[in-house]
Amino acid sequence: MSLDAGSETRTVDFAADDVPQWRSILSWPAAPSIIFLVVATLGVGMVTDGFLTIANLRSILEQAVLISIVALAVNQVILSGEIDVSTGSLLAVCAFVFGNTANVVGGAWLPLLAALAAGGTVGLLNGFLSTYGRVPSIITTLGMLFILRGAVLLGGGAQVLNMAPESRIFGQGMIAGIPVTILIAACLFLVMEIVSRHIIWARNAIAIGGNESAARTLGLPIRKTRLIAFVLSGLCCGLAAAVFLGQIGQLQATAATGFELKVIAAVVLGGTSIRGGKGSNVSPVVGAVLVGVILNAMTLNRVPGTYELLVLGSLILGAVSFEGVRQKLLTRGH
Amino acid sequence: MSLVERRPVCALRNVSKRFGSISACQDISIELFAGEAVALAGENGAGKSTTAKCLYGFHSPTTGHVEVDGREMTFRSPRDGEAAGIVMIPQELDLFPELSIVENMFMGQQRPRTRFGTFDWRAMKKTAREILARLGLRLDVSQPVHLLSAANCKLIEIARALNRNARVIIMDEPTAALTDREVRRLLSIVRDLKKNGVAIVYITHRLDEIFDVCDRIVVLRDGSLVDDGPVSDFTEGSLVKKMVGRPLESLFTHSPHPIGDVALEVVGLTSEPAFRDISFQVRKGEILGISGLIGAGRSELANALFGLRAYAAGTIAVNERRVRINSVADAFRLGIAYLPEERRSQGLILPFSIQHNITLASLKRFTRLGIVSERGEADFARKAATDFTVSGARIDAAVSVLSGGNQQKVLIAKTLARNPEIIILDEPTRGVDVGAKSEIYRIIDDLARRGCAVILISSELNEVLAMSDRILVMREGVAVRTFERSEFSPEAIGAAAAGQKVLSNVA
Repeated sequence: MSLDAGSETRTVDFAADDVPQWRSILSWPAAPSIIFLVVATLGVGMVTDGFLTIANLRSILEQAVLISIVALAVNQVILSGEIDVSTGSLLAVCAFVFGNTANVVGGAWLPLLAALAAGGTVGLLNGFLSTYGRVPSIITTLGMLFILRGAVLLGGGAQVLNMAPESRIFGQGMIAGIPVTILIAACLFLVMEIVSRHIIWARNAIAIGGNESAARTLGLPIRKTRLIAFVLSGLCCGLAAAVFLGQIGQLQATAATGFELKVIAAVVLGGTSIRGGKGSNVSPVVGAVLVGVILNAMTLNRVPGTYELLVLGSLILGAVSFEGVRQKLLTRGH
Repeated sequence: MSLVERRPVCALRNVSKRFGSISACQDISIELFAGEAVALAGENGAGKSTTAKCLYGFHSPTTGHVEVDGREMTFRSPRDGEAAGIVMIPQELDLFPELSIVENMFMGQQRPRTRFGTFDWRAMKKTAREILARLGLRLDVSQPVHLLSAANCKLIEIARALNRNARVIIMDEPTAALTDREVRRLLSIVRDLKKNGVAIVYITHRLDEIFDVCDRIVVLRDGSLVDDGPVSDFTEGSLVKKMVGRPLESLFTHSPHPIGDVALEVVGLTSEPAFRDISFQVRKGEILGISGLIGAGRSELANALFGLRAYAAGTIAVNERRVRINSVADAFRLGIAYLPEERRSQGLILPFSIQHNITLASLKRFTRLGIVSERGEADFARKAATDFTVSGARIDAAVSVLSGGNQQKVLIAKTLARNPEIIILDEPTRGVDVGAKSEIYRIIDDLARRGCAVILISSELNEVLAMSDRILVMREGVAVRTFERSEFSPEAIGAAAAGQKVLSNVA
């Protein structure tokens, strides 16, 4: 079947929807956060001594790496219209798996596999309960957050793990003058970019989050797609655990408490819609760096660490309200 | 055309669909031929969308089957239907707003790959642009669809169907959200599609569109097929008669009731884009029917009168006193009550008991010093349940166990518990069986006799004709005309709602 192009001239002219350039740039989800990041970096740099030094910027990035790795996966979960708040405890669990495996067998690659397996399994469970099990994901993963933290406190409460240098390669060391941690995050970002652009699963995920009923009409595999997003989130916790232990070298049972909030803050700050269906891989990375910049600036300006949660919370609220205002501006006239 | 018997592209063979104990359509057989547009006509609830959903694989028929090219098919999901070349364009926009045009067109479909195994975006965009060009559209295919107008979104959905090499396209109310000009454009595209051998199933309430673009009409009523013939066999009048069908006088109660002073007067009420410049009066003891097609702005008008929707211009007077209704609390204070259209989402709290649903909006009546008297509440609920003939469960059972008709009666009981003077009923009998319908009609009649001013919004022509003292017809947000009871006829009101007269004046 084909229609002859231009076989007849349309009698009724349709106004083409011409979208101004500025509007299409501003509708890019990560645009405001990138602007904000640049402004914040320059602003903080001007008033803070020692901020705009190579060493300090590097330490910000190294801190942001950990959040980015998990946030890149949680971003997919949120895009598909679900949420994962269990990542803080899951990171701790994976770190314990990594550390204990490393103590027994040594090295770093086998422990990494073990951590990935643990993360993937929990992710599968999260995903299964949230999709086929019909438990809302906020409840599934909140329950999991407590269960896993409880398990870590019970299983390793008294334990303080110290890592051998050979097991810390994912958190330390340089390749060609670039820290390994940053390379890991950059690789993951690239992989996720390719996945987002060229794998059906990722295209389906953002579509499902954007309009679930349309996805149903098209017969997209809604539950399977979301399940995979949860598994990805678990796997990235496993990877992040290897980086985390490598960076700090020792582990306590309370490690990474509150980490899940930083992850969600990064995703939302980066411009991914918490309702799903809108965002990019740039969002979680920019968001993670932004969180890093702000926390670092607070430290350098000797703001007590007790203010950390207060500032993070305000940032999340600010980002989400700003998003509402921006949408209104963008859709005006439609 | 040759004399050889034409073979249908696709057909429904004796299809029936039941949902639990409710039968949505029975024994429907329709054949679709290439290059032919078939109108599915019928009132709301006649089974049009269920029939369409069986055709493209959203539902699988309880009995009967779908046939494509003479072969019996089993569709397990819309994907299977699509694979067979049958694509549905639903009434509500079913696009992914944040995704680009090209993405929307390829969603859920095989995409071209480059030799590296990545998506070939260049090829995808080229295909998308070509298809849009066939539809006479020149758009940047990488812009997100939420920036497009409603009409262009509809065309993107058609483009999506074309990209699936659809041989059968089902369009459900495709023009509901379009302006006159855009409708003409869409109809010309439908004609082009026919010319190129696509079979079209066209579902609409607008009779003029049926006669304009369709070749055959299939009339459904109460889930059964009542007629199937070429358009030339029908006139607008005969089509309406076939759709409305059997005499229903016995079902309705319309007793004489004295009509008093003006209870509600609306002048020039405007709330763009839903409706503008609406003026009418309702008197005490009078039933004013509001008729019109879906999307004519009737429910939005009701929402504005009940404080659920802001209005930009116009005045409202209650009992000849000018008022401003900004919130539901204002409406309640003025004695206005509203029975919403969507009883599940807007009206009832399903896990609550029947009793708690009935008394929810009027707990103040049973409250002394801030404490709710449970006995008073239960007595009242029991009495209301009896008055409104709610049957099927004790009043402490969850309202979700009741049938649709009984749920509706609970909702009416709740709405009336405040003793309103003005009551707006929005589709009070939708999805309700005949028995419950006649009881609801009796309640409505009773209200009018007790001196309530009643506004009855309904898409069922029979219902408004039988129950109303006057009928206001709305079309595309404008009050077209008010009919007095002596002027009532299904043809005249159907024509006013579909707007043939108005259209022909403009064109």
